Amino acid sequence: MVSLDASEFTTRELNKRIKEIVDDAGSDIVISSPSARHNLVVGIQKECKIAIEGSVGYYAASQLDGPEISIEGNAGWALGENLMSGKIALSRNAGASVGASMRGGEMFIGGNAGARAGISMKGGTLLVAGDSGFLTGFMMQKGRIIVCGDIGDAAGDSMYEGTIYVGGDVGTLGADAKFDEPTEDELIELWAELEAHGINKRPKFRKIVSQKKLYHYDTLERLERTLI
Amino acid sequence: MCGIAGIMYKQSRDNGLAPIGEELVKMLETMVHRGHDSAGVTVSGESIDADLLIRIWADESAPATEIIERAKEAVVNNGGVIVTADSRDSYLRVTANYQGDVPRLAKALLETPGVVLHSIGEGSEVIKDVGTPVVMDGRHRISDISGTHGVGHVRMATESKIDISHAHPFWAYPFTDITVVHNGQLTNYHGMKREYESRGHHFQTQNDSELIAVYLADKLAEGAALNEALTHSLDDLDGTFTYLVSTSDGMGYAKDRWAAKPLVLMETDSVVALASEEVALRSVFTDELDRTEPQEHEVMTWSV
Repeated sequence: MVSLDASEFTTRELNKRIKEIVDDAGSDIVISSPSARHNLVVGIQKECKIAIEGSVGYYAASQLDGPEISIEGNAGWALGENLMSGKIALSRNAGASVGASMRGGEMFIGGNAGARAGISMKGGTLLVAGDSGFLTGFMMQKGRIIVCGDIGDAAGDSMYEGTIYVGGDVGTLGADAKFDEPTEDELIELWAELEAHGINKRPKFRKIVSQKKLYHYDTLERLERTLI
Repeated sequence: MCGIAGIMYKQSRDNGLAPIGEELVKMLETMVHRGHDSAGVTVSGESIDADLLIRIWADESAPATEIIERAKEAVVNNGGVIVTADSRDSYLRVTANYQGDVPRLAKALLETPGVVLHSIGEGSEVIKDVGTPVVMDGRHRISDISGTHGVGHVRMATESKIDISHAHPFWAYPFTDITVVHNGQLTNYHGMKREYESRGHHFQTQNDSELIAVYLADKLAEGAALNEALTHSLDDLDGTFTYLVSTSDGMGYAKDRWAAKPLVLMETDSVVALASEEVALRSVFTDELDRTEPQEHEVMTWSV
């Protein structure tokens, strides 16, 4: 295991050093004193374990493919943006746009998530132990968002595909979103996932899915029809 | 983009003033990536041995010393008794005893050629300049100023020109102690500005954020509580905004319905601090802290 004190590096140096360690030795890394700085631990495309002991700023753990990241603290906007695979676990609150455009992997938020959680999500699982904000799942295209607490207004606005599970109240549904009931098997699976993250509650989840009235992928343009 | 910050020590009126200037500069400097054009602070709840604290900037229409003398004369000619007058380059800080009508004095100063009024307060002052917070602190010694609370701003100009008077905070002419820092753009600025001008309000700049200060001051003058004024603004102002307001004894934030602009909040029994980014809070409070992110269409206020 390698320990790095973030206060001794510029952000660019620190990210370079992390990549070197992961590429050369493949060691686990512990990063101390992140002090809510932006752009920490980004662009890593190998399996590895990195623990961050403190809060991070914007775009932390973004552009990742493979790593397992744990963060003991809060995160700013766009934590885990574009996650391809791997795991990110945050112990406290996340800012807006957590998991924006994520395509795979698992994200766990121990506290609350801000506005636009899982915006344009294209795969993977975003699990929020607390509440989630305005426009959660905005334009999501695939994957699952699981919110144990409440969701704010415009939940699932303009979502194409994918599922939002909500354990608490919902402010309002967004455009083209509707409620659905999960099956017993789905609930059992969800509760098992919560338990695996140390959440010993069994919320009676509801599902939010797309009504699919806003988009028309099966309707071809006139020019496209001539090509078939 | 822009970065905003605010801090209040809730018991500082009773327990001794806090280093508001120093802490605002620290918070703003860590957010300097959000705006390099200009910076500014309001320090409120200062202890002054006078009725009014006036902040003036001399524009470049005449030598600064000449304009500063004119400003001092205007204070005296309108019944003010100057207690202290400190000038630094083209800035003047005056404390004065004055028993008259503050809008009348403000108007007299405004009509004095070359004088730009940055603030009139009973215990607050606006200090703003082009450049970064640390550079500004070097010029104006903001770190030496203690108070009970304050707000600050680093600006990336989008809506109006870059100069000292278009830097934030914006003071609500001619209402004492009411200032605003804003991150965002108002889209109904021109219409609302015309409406307020037709009701007799005066705007000193072409900047949309000045409207928020005048709007709130108008609501407060009509008898609204600070929290009510902020709540009304959520529906009356159109566009994107997260703004902070500082009054003689209060501070608050309002965040638009889209949650378009960031803000994080940290509060303990003794202090409340707000900033666009957590990194700014951490520049003052170095330990890991519990902080929350205010949501859309939301206001909150505090008082000392």
